[in-house]
Amino acid sequence: MAFSVEHIQIAAYLGAGICVGIGAVTTGIGSGIIAGEGAYGIVKQPKANEQIFRTMLIGQAAAQTAGIFALVISMLLIYGRSDAPEGGWFRAAAYLAAGLAMGLGSVGPSLGAGYSGGQACKSVARMPKHGNAIMGNMLIGQALSQTSAIFALVVAFLLMYSIPNQPADISMGRIIVKSVALIASGLSIGFGTLGPGTGIGYVAGKASDMMGRFPNEKSKIMRTMFLGAAVSESTAIYSLVVSFLLIFAL
Amino acid sequence: MAKKKSPMLKIILIFFIVEVVLVFLSGNFSKQLEIGFEHGKFRIRHVETEYNLQEKITEEFQIDEYYSQHGKTPEIYGSKKLYNLFKFLSKFGTVPFTPMGTFQLLRMILIVDIVLLLMALFIRKSLARRPAKSQIIFELVYTSLEEFVTETLGKDKVNYTPYIVTLFIFIWVCNMIGMIPIPGFMEPTRNLNVPLGLGFMVVIVVHFTAIKMKGAWKHIQNYINPVKNPLCLLDIVGEASKVVSISFRLFGNILGGAIIILVVSSLVSFVVLPIGLTLFFGVFVGTIQAFVFTMLALTYIGVEIAE
Amino acid sequence: MNLTLAQGIVKASALLGAGLCMGMGALGPGVGEGFVAGKACEGIARSPENASLITRTMLVGQAVSESTGIYSLVIALLLIFST
Repeated sequence: MAFSVEHIQIAAYLGAGICVGIGAVTTGIGSGIIAGEGAYGIVKQPKANEQIFRTMLIGQAAAQTAGIFALVISMLLIYGRSDAPEGGWFRAAAYLAAGLAMGLGSVGPSLGAGYSGGQACKSVARMPKHGNAIMGNMLIGQALSQTSAIFALVVAFLLMYSIPNQPADISMGRIIVKSVALIASGLSIGFGTLGPGTGIGYVAGKASDMMGRFPNEKSKIMRTMFLGAAVSESTAIYSLVVSFLLIFAL
Repeated sequence: MAKKKSPMLKIILIFFIVEVVLVFLSGNFSKQLEIGFEHGKFRIRHVETEYNLQEKITEEFQIDEYYSQHGKTPEIYGSKKLYNLFKFLSKFGTVPFTPMGTFQLLRMILIVDIVLLLMALFIRKSLARRPAKSQIIFELVYTSLEEFVTETLGKDKVNYTPYIVTLFIFIWVCNMIGMIPIPGFMEPTRNLNVPLGLGFMVVIVVHFTAIKMKGAWKHIQNYINPVKNPLCLLDIVGEASKVVSISFRLFGNILGGAIIILVVSSLVSFVVLPIGLTLFFGVFVGTIQAFVFTMLALTYIGVEIAE
Repeated sequence: MNLTLAQGIVKASALLGAGLCMGMGALGPGVGEGFVAGKACEGIARSPENASLITRTMLVGQAVSESTGIYSLVIALLLIFST
């Protein structure tokens, strides 16, 4: 098949669209959950109005981190150097895979961060005296659940900037193997962050919720949250390892 | 609240300043990302177009392949005598000693061991009735881990504490030592062999405990007698998956952090973002993973004792 | 090493299978382990005197629910290296 620059551009623009399109879905849902819980909390506890509002805003900002990652990757795909033909099919596959990785990879973390922020708002409304501790716990939990989004981001960066140009004399079979390996690595980390991101968000949400009910057990709750979140992340790590193997070992 | 927060902030600030100074001294930020307008279009591109990220990653993580592809002699960074010593020692073994990656790993483990020894000697020397700051920190680590051991295994199994504490401090120092930006320095846990060895050690300790508690024949019957334990085959797979999960978790976290820091610091020229990521992946993730490894080891032992 | 077209397609589908296997296989265990840990947080907050028992149950439960993730990892590695 003859190769031209348009193939790379098609892949880059398609990847950019997929990236922000899928990535924005749950960012919106997560922010909506936080806003809903915040509004309900203000109804229940009108005196703590300012504190709940602050928690809601900070929680929404943190929940949108993964969406912003997707936006960055999509901007880089659109305005990057996609008009140079020397990359060949490798470059086209890598751009598409970068969009898939970051787009799918921001779904789970945003949902998880949204749930944990919502529970934190509820919790602040229940116990405004411990608002600062709950907000700190919420931020740590959201950072834990965004770790898998950072994994997706780094795989997307690797796909965009570290793929060598396609050698001149290479058989069609070899081209297919390498291109499909790149796309598979994007799919692996993209789907792989979905579960752990949501799961860690659930852990952080439950921890924030319980911190509002039983503020005396703060240290024990936080310890369990750290331990559980770190163990839940292991499947994201396996996906990361498989992605690195697919990018570098072939 | 503010009182409790301030020492943590101070520590982070000290780490931050030390990292900034070290990065400036090592001059390790030469790669540039140019952002601007060109022909009326918004563009982002590298200033150094020859720069190849994949080659750099190969050099960093698969050092033997890199030097064999390029036909260069590997850099030893001034530890020629150590290299010769390892080469001399390997004459007594069966495998000839050549690869560079193995040498780097052995050197880093040696450095970690020396650090641990110095720490022990320093603490031993400065023991006092009115404890100094370092003594307080170590006693805090020791007593809190001892509390975990007694909670999980019971009051009469305190003798597992030294193993658990050593495991924690060894993995923690291993994860921390890669933060020092000296050429040739890396986390030993970044190499799969180290976590795998630690994982095998944990499983051996678990089975040793089980045999000690129940007797050898009774314990082995769990895995070979389908009448007593109908899921014996699954249990054997479970033992293998214990090693895989406990070691791949540590390995993947540290390797992922190292690659992320490399990629981001090669894309971005300014100093702050890579240092923040180094702090996150070095201090935060390193400590959490060391703690998780230790807790999992403790739990595996605890399950065998509880039966 | 150069491959013919047919060999290339076989190898490529194995690699695509490996990526999808690990990606989809990580989905279930991630959510499940998160659920376990969340419930454990709740339990420890409600009865802090049983903290060590709950932590142990949580870790063992997570280790068991992670086994399917490890099966996917093994299959993905097999697909990458042995085809």
